[in-house]
Amino acid sequence: MSEKSYRDAIRDAMMEEMDRDPKVLIMGEDIGVYEGTFRITAGMLKKYGPKRVIDTPIAEAGMAGTAVGMAMLGLRPIVEMMTMNFAIVAADQILNHAAKVRYFSGGQVDVPMVIRGPQGVGVQLSAQHSQSFESFYAHFPGIHVVAPATPADAKGMLKTAIRGKDPVIFLESAALYGMKGEVPDDPDFTVPFGKSRIAREGKDVTIVSYSRMLQLSLAVADKLSKDEGVECEVIDLRTLRPLDMDPVYASVEKTHRAVVVQEQWKPFGAAAEIAASITEACFDDLDAPVYRVTGEDVPMPYARNLELLAVPHEEHILRGIRKVMYVAE
Amino acid sequence: MSEVIMPKAGDAMTEGKVVRWYKQPGDAVKRGEPVAEIETDKVNLDLEAEADGTLGAHQAKEGDMVPVGNVLVKILAPGEKEAEKEEAKAEAPKAEPKAESPKEEPQKEEAKADEPQQRRSTDKKESVKHTTGEYHEAIEQRGPRRDRTAPEPAEPASGEPGDRKRSSPLARRMAREMGVNLDQVQGSGPRGRVIAADIKNAQTSDAKPEAPRPQVAAVHYEPRGTTTIPLTAMRRTIAKRLAESTGPIPHFYLTADYDVTNLVSMRQQMVEMTGSKVSLNDFLIRGIALALAQHPNINASWGDEAITQHGDIHIGVAVATADGLITPVIRNADQKSVLEIATEVRALAEKAKNRKLKPDEYQHSTFTISNLGAWGIEEFTAIINPPNAAILAIGAAEARPVADANRQLVVRDRMKVTMSCDHRVIDGATGAEFLKTLRQFVEQPLRLVTGF
Repeated sequence: MSEKSYRDAIRDAMMEEMDRDPKVLIMGEDIGVYEGTFRITAGMLKKYGPKRVIDTPIAEAGMAGTAVGMAMLGLRPIVEMMTMNFAIVAADQILNHAAKVRYFSGGQVDVPMVIRGPQGVGVQLSAQHSQSFESFYAHFPGIHVVAPATPADAKGMLKTAIRGKDPVIFLESAALYGMKGEVPDDPDFTVPFGKSRIAREGKDVTIVSYSRMLQLSLAVADKLSKDEGVECEVIDLRTLRPLDMDPVYASVEKTHRAVVVQEQWKPFGAAAEIAASITEACFDDLDAPVYRVTGEDVPMPYARNLELLAVPHEEHILRGIRKVMYVAE
Repeated sequence: MSEVIMPKAGDAMTEGKVVRWYKQPGDAVKRGEPVAEIETDKVNLDLEAEADGTLGAHQAKEGDMVPVGNVLVKILAPGEKEAEKEEAKAEAPKAEPKAESPKEEPQKEEAKADEPQQRRSTDKKESVKHTTGEYHEAIEQRGPRRDRTAPEPAEPASGEPGDRKRSSPLARRMAREMGVNLDQVQGSGPRGRVIAADIKNAQTSDAKPEAPRPQVAAVHYEPRGTTTIPLTAMRRTIAKRLAESTGPIPHFYLTADYDVTNLVSMRQQMVEMTGSKVSLNDFLIRGIALALAQHPNINASWGDEAITQHGDIHIGVAVATADGLITPVIRNADQKSVLEIATEVRALAEKAKNRKLKPDEYQHSTFTISNLGAWGIEEFTAIINPPNAAILAIGAAEARPVADANRQLVVRDRMKVTMSCDHRVIDGATGAEFLKTLRQFVEQPLRLVTGF
């Protein structure tokens, strides 16, 4: 184990896989000479050369479509989207091609490609650059959707994504790039998809989250344990598709109450899917309606004060916990 | 349109009672005019209109308990009408409820979210036969759904025909498994929802096994009815706070017997000189405050991580009211003169009796006193008022025979005080040191003037 940032964990995963398999390559805007807007690809052009670290024009649909073709012919392309917001331009390539080729070919053709990049709220990136796409992509069969919350998961899950045979939407949280954590050094360390993780054990209330909101949920859980003796069980979903709900159900059967935390908008969001699944599976175990903590239902404001008001903070999670526990605020 | 909602008038407040409506539906109201009086666990408050307009339908009756944040009444702007469905409901609550329900649906998003059994359970573990049977029965018995905004009591209206008991799925399952009759259980959740905790409580109170009774000769006793006194919000709060106190706080008690002859005469002189009604208690408050200034370890609070010593000295004074106990607070009592304290105590006690104390007038004491001297109590122990670390119970000042320094019997004015201490914060000797300092202020009352 060694301590790594989330950013370095992602770079390590890519470089280890490029060392391991000559078919792995990366393309994207400003990833080569400029070394990446978020410095994820620092040093990679120098090490692997312009055939495997490809600076592309500003043309996301072209990048994604090229990658689909490369993957169909046996390469393992990684596409870095400068932010996942820009991948909307490539939605047809991703959803109508990458996600469909295996099905259309009757399983004859795999599409082993990864589309990765940051998403979510940053600092004053405004409405077009602050969005979250997990529920958008996870709606479609045919692709995996991954949202790691720790450096170790970022590395282990990116390796699983690169080695797999299906297209993967790998959602990074820009706000977590600097976060440090213990990461296994083993070059074959991988984290399987579809395995939720109990990030913190507790008996009083279940909090379900992923990515950056998982870290926020853990902070609230620690605080509640210290200040009020309330023990939250915090579950990290890790992948939205496949979605592993069994640990969530087991937890709700124990705590009888659940709060789901997501950064994105409430309507039709990931939390809605999770809350509905809990209600279907654990109906007779629930002592309170499942509560959703979400961002405000507005395009992300540019003004810093309004931006802060538009995303969930600790007090929103606390409010949700108190609500499902029937504790007055 | 503006709304008058049940305010949150204190950290602990979750609901309040509508005492009376000053304004009736259709009355014109002006901004700032009181619309209703409500009762919280501590005080009575008038709720004012926030805008000019016409009062809409009352959404709670006098006597109803209403959760904090719920709308009590709407104030309609000139020309504005209350939503049609509400008028229909308010005017003719019994008229054709079935025909009305479909158009209500869109208004009830929130209510719907809270009512899972509206839909069929797809529960993996439940036997289908069992659920569907109950489900259809429940649907048939339920009749029209109640609108949360309709002018009906917010409390669970159990027993009303056509209504159903709100309950969480877990509570229903537990009731089924434990054989508890859901209709007999008072729900403590939102809108009277029965939750798991209510079933647990119901079960523990129901489940006392009946002991076999010894046979005794039949004796005729005059039957005497029992009287049930409903718990007021204030009585509930008193019970909760005091139980919280004796439960976790390890109490111990220190009693001291002070010679107050000089203090009694000083008070007499001051009354004569100023004509104001200064009580012995006002002198004691200043003495206690000055003693606390020298003993910050008594003016303190226990916390899980640390003990807090409060810089400010705020003395809570227990005041009996018709409804129970409340402790208005004399703030920075060490920096106030006896006369200032006297004036303030009287004003706060008066407010307390009329239930007009504001939260900042009875919260955040650092030390509390309770004086039962006026009732002729010689000495007693009081229960700590958390988060204070101590409370001083003050008995009556009485002329009593005592031995003087020369072991001669003399009659002096004496007064016993008992300090209840939180042993997590205060040890026996620290408490005793404080009572020793207090003795100097009480027995040599000139110190109340000099301040040391």
